[in-house]
Amino acid sequence: MGAMRVRIALGLAVVATAIGLVIDMSGAAPRLAGDDHVSWPARDPGVAVVAGGGVLCMHATVLPDDAARVVMPIHDALDQSKRLPRIAIDFTDDRGRRVATGVLARGAAEGPAVSLPLRYPHGPSALGSLCLHVGGHRTLVIDGETGAGTTTVNGVAQAGSPAILYYRPGRESWWQLLGTLDFRFGLGKSAIFGDWTLPVIVLAALALWFGVLRFLVRELRG
Amino acid sequence: MSGRLGAVTAGVWARVRAAVAPCLRVWRRIPRAGRACFVIAFVNVAIWSVVVPPFMVPDEISHFGYAQYFAETGKPPPQGPVYPYSRQESAALQALEFGAVYGSQLNRGIFTSVEQADLRTILAANNYPLGPGGATTATNQPPLYYALEAVPYWLSPSNDLLTRLVFMRLLSALMAAGTVLAVFLFLRELVPHTPWAWTVGALMVAFQPMFDFIGAGVNGDNLLYLASAVTIYVIARAYRRGLTTARSAGIGAALAVGMLAKLTFLALVPGAGLALALLAWRARPSGSTRALRMLAIGVAAAAAPVALYLLLNVTVWDRGSALAGGLSSVTSAAGSGATTVTWHEIFDYTWQLYLPAHLPLLGGLMNHFYFPGIYPLWQIWLDGSIGHFGWLNYTFPLWVYHAFQRLVYVLAALGAIGLWRARAAIRPLLGLFACYAVMALGLLVIIGYTGARDLATSQYLFPQARYLFPLLAFYALAIVLATKALPRRWAPVLGGLLVVLAMAHSLFAETLTISRYYG
Repeated sequence: MGAMRVRIALGLAVVATAIGLVIDMSGAAPRLAGDDHVSWPARDPGVAVVAGGGVLCMHATVLPDDAARVVMPIHDALDQSKRLPRIAIDFTDDRGRRVATGVLARGAAEGPAVSLPLRYPHGPSALGSLCLHVGGHRTLVIDGETGAGTTTVNGVAQAGSPAILYYRPGRESWWQLLGTLDFRFGLGKSAIFGDWTLPVIVLAALALWFGVLRFLVRELRG
Repeated sequence: MSGRLGAVTAGVWARVRAAVAPCLRVWRRIPRAGRACFVIAFVNVAIWSVVVPPFMVPDEISHFGYAQYFAETGKPPPQGPVYPYSRQESAALQALEFGAVYGSQLNRGIFTSVEQADLRTILAANNYPLGPGGATTATNQPPLYYALEAVPYWLSPSNDLLTRLVFMRLLSALMAAGTVLAVFLFLRELVPHTPWAWTVGALMVAFQPMFDFIGAGVNGDNLLYLASAVTIYVIARAYRRGLTTARSAGIGAALAVGMLAKLTFLALVPGAGLALALLAWRARPSGSTRALRMLAIGVAAAAAPVALYLLLNVTVWDRGSALAGGLSSVTSAAGSGATTVTWHEIFDYTWQLYLPAHLPLLGGLMNHFYFPGIYPLWQIWLDGSIGHFGWLNYTFPLWVYHAFQRLVYVLAALGAIGLWRARAAIRPLLGLFACYAVMALGLLVIIGYTGARDLATSQYLFPQARYLFPLLAFYALAIVLATKALPRRWAPVLGGLLVVLAMAHSLFAETLTISRYYG
C-alpha cells in the first residue's frame, strides 16, 4: 500500500511537470537570431550621428541567415516627438555581394528599439557591412557602446557602434525553434560538441528522470 | 618483446588495482542508495555543465585562469598588478563575445557558422597557455582546488582550451556529487532509523538548481561545499559513534581541505574546533590522555597542511609573506581599505543582511540602513537560492519566486512541527547542534563582514545565495524535519513529492538557461 501511495503521488507530480513543460515550450514569442555583440540595452547615447541623406555603416559584423528584422535604438537629434524618415538597409558581405536588403517606411516612431525589416529569406550568414541609408533632412542619433566595433557615417569613423538585435521572422514556440536550438547548442563550445549534443543531453535527462523515479519508488516504499 | 610489454602492462595494471582497491572498499561500504545519489548528482550536474556555455558560471574566468596558471607552472599566480589571463584565455573570451554576453540579458554568444569558424581560427592562432598571473577575484585563494583542476586540465585529450574546460567542469561535477554523498551520510548519522529520509535529503541537494549551476562550472566554491559537507558529516559521525583516532584525523583532514579550498571556510573553523574539543571532552571516560591525544591528532591534521601552505607561500612560491596568499584579506582589520568601515557599520550591515532592520525592540540599535526597498532574507537569500543565474543576469518570472515564498512558509511550519515531534531524538544531540550553530553563525558573520567592507569600497552588492551553500547539509536536514511533521505513512510521500518538485525546478532552470543562451 505504501509503495502504491508513493507511485501515485510521484506519477501525478511527473504528469504535472510534463504538462508545465509542454505549456512552457508551446508559448510563441519573437525569437532572437543574434546580435552585433554590442551591449543591449545600449550603454552610451549618441555613439553615431547621421544626417538625412547620409549612410551609416557597421563594418566587420555578421548577419545571421535567419534574421528577418534589425532592431536598434534610433532617435531624432532635436525633436523626439517627430516620426522617422525612410531608412533603407542593406548588408554587403566581405566579397562585395549584397546579401540582404530592406526598407523602413517613413513615419515609424523613433525609440530605443526601432524595428527595421529585412526581405526574408535572404542569403546565408555572412561577415560584412550593414548599412543604413537615411532619407529626409533631419539628423538621427544612434545609441550603442563607445569604442565597440567599427562604424562609419559617410566614411567617417564614429565614436562607437550601435546596439543591434536581429530577430527571426514572426513568433515561434520553442518546439518550432528546436532545430535551430540544436544547431546553436553545439556552437561556442569545445569541438567535441556539435549537432548531436542537445539530443543526447535531452535523452540523458530523460534517462535520469526515469532512473530517479524508479529509485524513489524503491526507497520510499516505507 | 611483446612478452616484456605484456609483463610491464600487467605490472602497471596490478599497481593501479592495488591503488584503487582501498577506494573501492570504501565505496562498497557506502549504502547502495548513497552510491545511487552520488551517481544521480554527478549525471545531473554533468548535464548542467554542457548546458551552461563556457565562462558563464560566476567568476569562472578567474577560477579557470588560476587553474591554468597552476597547471602550467605548478604554483599559484603571483597576483601582481599585471594582466591575469593567458593569451589563450583572453582570445577565447574575445571570440566568445564574453564581454557582451555576461552582463546582459539579451546579448547572445556565437549563433552562426561564420562566428564559429572565427572562434576556431582565433583559438588556433592564440594557443599560448601561460599568462602573467595577475590578481583576480580568485588569486588570493589557497591553491588546492586549482591544483586538483590541473589534473583534468592535463588529462584532456586536446590542448584546446574549451575542451580542457569540459574536463575541468566534470571534476567540479564530481565534487558536487561528493557533496551530495556527504549530505546522505550526514543524514544517515542523524536520522539512522529512517533510511528513506537520507535519500530525500540528498536528492533535494542534488537537484537544487543554484547548486547545480555552480557545480557546472570551474569555481572554487565546489570544493568549499564538498569540504563543508564532509566536515559536518564527520563531526556528526564522531558525535554519534564516539571519537577515535581515525575520526579525529578525519575531522582534521576535512578542515585542512576546506581551509586550503577557499578562505570562506575559515568561518566554519571555530565551530568545528569547538566540536572537536567537545568530542574530546566526551571521550574522557576512556582516559584523559587518550582524549587529549585524539584532540591533538585532529588539530595537527588540520594545521599541518595549512602550515605547509603558509611556508610554501614565503619560500617556493615567493608570494611575499605567509599571509600574502590571501589570509590577509580576511584577517586584516576593518577599514584597512581605502574607505574606513566601523564595527558598528559592520554590525548593522550583517544584522540587516538576515534580519529586519526595523524591529520594535531594536530601538536605536541600527545607525545605518542598507538594502533600501528590499528585504535580503527574501530577495537575496531565498530568491537567490531559487535562481539568480548566469552572472546574476537572468531569473525566473516573478510569480515563481512568490510561489516558492509561500512554499517556504508551509515547509517552515511543517519543519517546526517536525522539530517538535523529533524533540526526544534531538535532545541528546544538543551539543552537536550547538557546534553547528557556531559554524553557521561564523559563516553568516563572515559574509556580513566581507559584504560591509566590499560595499564601502566598491558600492557593489556583494552577497549571493551561493555563499550559504556550505550549509547545504542543514538545508537537507530541514527538509527531512518538514517531512517528519506528517504521519509515518505520509512522510515518504511528501519527501518524494518534494524531490520531484526539486527535479522540476532544476529542469525548468535548465530550459531557462537554454532560452537565455541559445534562444
